[in-house]
Amino acid sequence: MKLKQALLLVLLAFVPAIGQAIYFHDKVSWQTPVAASEMVTVTQARAWGDNATWIDARPDAEFAQDHVPGAILLNEDRWNELLPQFLVVWSPEKKIVVYCSTQGCNASREIAHRLRTEAQLQNVFVLEGGWEEWVKRRDEENAQ
Amino acid sequence: MDSRSNIVWRILALMIGALFIYAGAIKALDPIGFANDIDNFKILPWFVGVRLAFYLPWLEILCGLALVTRRFYFGGLSILTTLTLIFVVVTIVAKARGLDITCGCFGHASKNLSFTWHLVLDFILLAALLVLWRREVLRIRAA
Repeated sequence: MKLKQALLLVLLAFVPAIGQAIYFHDKVSWQTPVAASEMVTVTQARAWGDNATWIDARPDAEFAQDHVPGAILLNEDRWNELLPQFLVVWSPEKKIVVYCSTQGCNASREIAHRLRTEAQLQNVFVLEGGWEEWVKRRDEENAQ
Repeated sequence: MDSRSNIVWRILALMIGALFIYAGAIKALDPIGFANDIDNFKILPWFVGVRLAFYLPWLEILCGLALVTRRFYFGGLSILTTLTLIFVVVTIVAKARGLDITCGCFGHASKNLSFTWHLVLDFILLAALLVLWRREVLRIRAA
């Protein structure tokens, strides 16, 4: 009887969950963390030149060490403090490229998501491979 | 004395129920953000985590309601105790693996809490749930 209670609750929760999933069907990337259309490679992002604003989503210390030239610091730790500073320099016609440390890091996705939902910004992209990939490309070019 | 004790237990169940309703609602409002939080633990593949992100908040809300209304009380209590226990274990494992995790339990508002504070709050919640669960088991057996 008591097990049935738990089972019923488990099953009942599927009803609103499925309803919400249907509603969000086109807004969610179901197979990969970020939809392919929201990702950008280093080559693509660099080709945008001055039409892109770079956002560094890594912790302050890593940003202070080194970062993409012209990148703006905007991380989760100081979101409330840094977002207004970013919005002052943000330009709606520019694409936004967010990066964090590596391909597997979560901060860039999180910041990109918050920029889209909380700041209502569009044209927000996540950099494939993150800072690691950017450095790799820079070192390759310097070596040539 | 017995009825006073009952009132205390009732209030505790109400508070925990309300807490889970709130926590579930916050996450249900931002399932994609919650999916990112689940993915941050690096335990489940994304396609599983994103589906859980749509399901778990509603399960929390329903179980929270069960505690508040006392309908399906034992079922709700058992599920919430299990979920909290799993969450505590997963959090410790993730931290031991060196992951920089944010649980997102209460949306972005909770992201400024340190790991230690998260864990302290989780243990308090788990202890309260276990006490309620144990009391209910004894009550059922006595009936």
